[in-house]
Amino acid sequence: MIRPITIFTAVTKNWMRSRSGLFFSIMFPVLLLLVFGAIFGGVGGASKYGIFVQNLDRTADEAPTELSDAFIEALNSTETFAITTIPVDADARSYARDALGPLGGNIRILIIPEGFQDDLLNGTVKVRVGISYTTLNYSLPYLNETEKIFVEICIAQMGQYNASLPDRSASLTLILDPSDQSAAIVKSIVISIANAFNYQLIGAKNVINFTEEQVTVRQFRGIDFYIPGIIAAFIMTNGIIGVTTNTTEFKRRGIIKRLSVTPLAKIEWILGNVLSQTVLNLMLTAIIIVVGWLVFNVQAIPDIFSLLIIFLGSVMFSGIGMVLSGLVKDVEAASAIGNAIAFPMMFLSGTYWPVEFMPAFLQSFARVLPLTYFSEGLRYAMIFKYSEGIFTNMAIVSALAAAFIILGALVTRWKEK
Amino acid sequence: MAKRVVEVSSLVKQYGSLRAVDGISFELYEGEVFAFLGPNGAGKTTTVEILECIRPLTSGSAKVFGFDVTKREDVKEIKKRIGVLTQDFSALDKLSVKENIDLIGGMYEKKLDTLEVIKLLDLEDKTKEKFENLSGGLKQRVGVAAALVNDPQLVFLDEPTTGLDPKARREVWSVIENLKKLGKTVFLTTHYMEEAQVLADRIAIINKGKIAVIGSPQELISHHGGLKVLIVRKGGKKLAETLQNKYGGTTLNHGGDVFVKVDDVKEMWQALSTLTDMHIGKEIEIQTPTIEDVFLKVVGGRITEEGELK
Repeated sequence: MIRPITIFTAVTKNWMRSRSGLFFSIMFPVLLLLVFGAIFGGVGGASKYGIFVQNLDRTADEAPTELSDAFIEALNSTETFAITTIPVDADARSYARDALGPLGGNIRILIIPEGFQDDLLNGTVKVRVGISYTTLNYSLPYLNETEKIFVEICIAQMGQYNASLPDRSASLTLILDPSDQSAAIVKSIVISIANAFNYQLIGAKNVINFTEEQVTVRQFRGIDFYIPGIIAAFIMTNGIIGVTTNTTEFKRRGIIKRLSVTPLAKIEWILGNVLSQTVLNLMLTAIIIVVGWLVFNVQAIPDIFSLLIIFLGSVMFSGIGMVLSGLVKDVEAASAIGNAIAFPMMFLSGTYWPVEFMPAFLQSFARVLPLTYFSEGLRYAMIFKYSEGIFTNMAIVSALAAAFIILGALVTRWKEK
Repeated sequence: MAKRVVEVSSLVKQYGSLRAVDGISFELYEGEVFAFLGPNGAGKTTTVEILECIRPLTSGSAKVFGFDVTKREDVKEIKKRIGVLTQDFSALDKLSVKENIDLIGGMYEKKLDTLEVIKLLDLEDKTKEKFENLSGGLKQRVGVAAALVNDPQLVFLDEPTTGLDPKARREVWSVIENLKKLGKTVFLTTHYMEEAQVLADRIAIINKGKIAVIGSPQELISHHGGLKVLIVRKGGKKLAETLQNKYGGTTLNHGGDVFVKVDDVKEMWQALSTLTDMHIGKEIEIQTPTIEDVFLKVVGGRITEEGELK
């Protein structure tokens, strides 16, 4: 057992003193966490969609009408929009373009036309009368003769009144840029608010109600998803790229040959490297967790299952690294192959976004990637505390770790040909 | 008779159609420095790596300390007892001299104190220096130190001075001479003639996988080195004619130097005596053959600085 520890100590010290090794293994993941966390993490206040609103529906004294003002208030209450008001006499498009300035931005304009309130009220009355008219007609078969005569008179008068109302409803103009990736979201929110207005004005009540409950104890933000994802992704790259290039470099420089003439056994060499990777990955995990806690207030305290999964992942990816370094001859090829495998796997395994967000064929592909199970298991263990998910993924990662280590030991050449 | 440390018999190593080692046989005796001298691709490293148990043999037998290199249990015993400086030795760049020697030492159950080995190799002032900051000569010395850390009985030095400048090369020679003083058996491979001649007790000249000749430098020179040459600087044409008539085998170069090839020591003394009697008053030089002459004669070519046969 002493020999693997000696190898572990030497390889780890050598790595700890290498600036480039430290940067790519520790600093780069931390930088990525800070960037991803800041942009997509859902922290530091949610970003809002900017929208310009021009309210042309005014009273005689140029004040906004009550309903148009209520509509803008409804938009505001969603806390989704940063509203900029366009003056009544301005050309809406030019005003928005000028306001966005030379750097541009997405033009989103909502125009509330003149007569919006009148049309809304007119439309509302027409709908309400229409509903009453239809409802009374439906009730006729259930009435006695006296009631029937009275109701029929009402129906006739309602029909006449409804026919006298102008056939127009309120309309809004929403101007969106087709290249705006958020256009669909903005449009659906505005439509939702308009529908809510419709229902409110005609006095409709919700027939279907939603009760929203969180599956887990606390509410999660994007950053909660990223922290285990980044840890998993870089444990993977440390194994697939780090182990492959280091081992190939050691091989090229004759260091492995020098060790092979001593009583060191091949499996002891592999064990020493796996130990080194495990310690490196635990350090990476600790640093990411501390940064996540300090910067993003993420409390992801790893439990025994997280540590076990990190160990298994370290074994699995070191095993893959050993397999690759056994198959390639030079460092350049090792680096190229390591990158070619690691980077697609990093983005297709649900480390940075859920696998379910991807197209069906990519989801199927993700299910054959070892990182998918490792990152899922780590996420379940560190964040969601979902025991079934932890054990299933842990079992898969264990099996893969065993398979890759055995394969790695088989392809690692301890003797010359 | 010294104890046999290595016994190689009819050793063959075949790579496809290439026979890298072609039925060689030799022995190494305790306490000697044995040199394998040959050009690149001669089969030196292949043979050494078979003896180090990191390359399988095709046929024949190889034993180190009586242990068979092909048997797994014997391999463990061999590896405990040998020290190796591999060809193009390298170590972990970011580790210090001591840490690198400790790394190799950590592979053995019994080992010498690292600082003792460092002292032995005169590396004390470089103990904490990172390997990457050392010169080529110092790196080789670290390699030798690592080869000695398990206090081996047999030390393999595979091309220990290749790529080093003359000063660094002589530093390594001094280290190898010290190994001999320590009583170590040394198996040296080299393509430098002078290195083999200066350091080795016995030399095997190897070419194309076969041992051409084997013996002590003196034996090889006396058997294969050819004639000694007596040179009379600026002796002139008349003297050349006189000596030609008396001893034959005399030549004259453009500078007027006279070269007389003599068969043995007796003839050498006769020629010197003749010259003394003639009171010629010229500078006389005696040129004896070297291992290079032996190599030229038995292999039919010379080895370049890079190790290629020409």
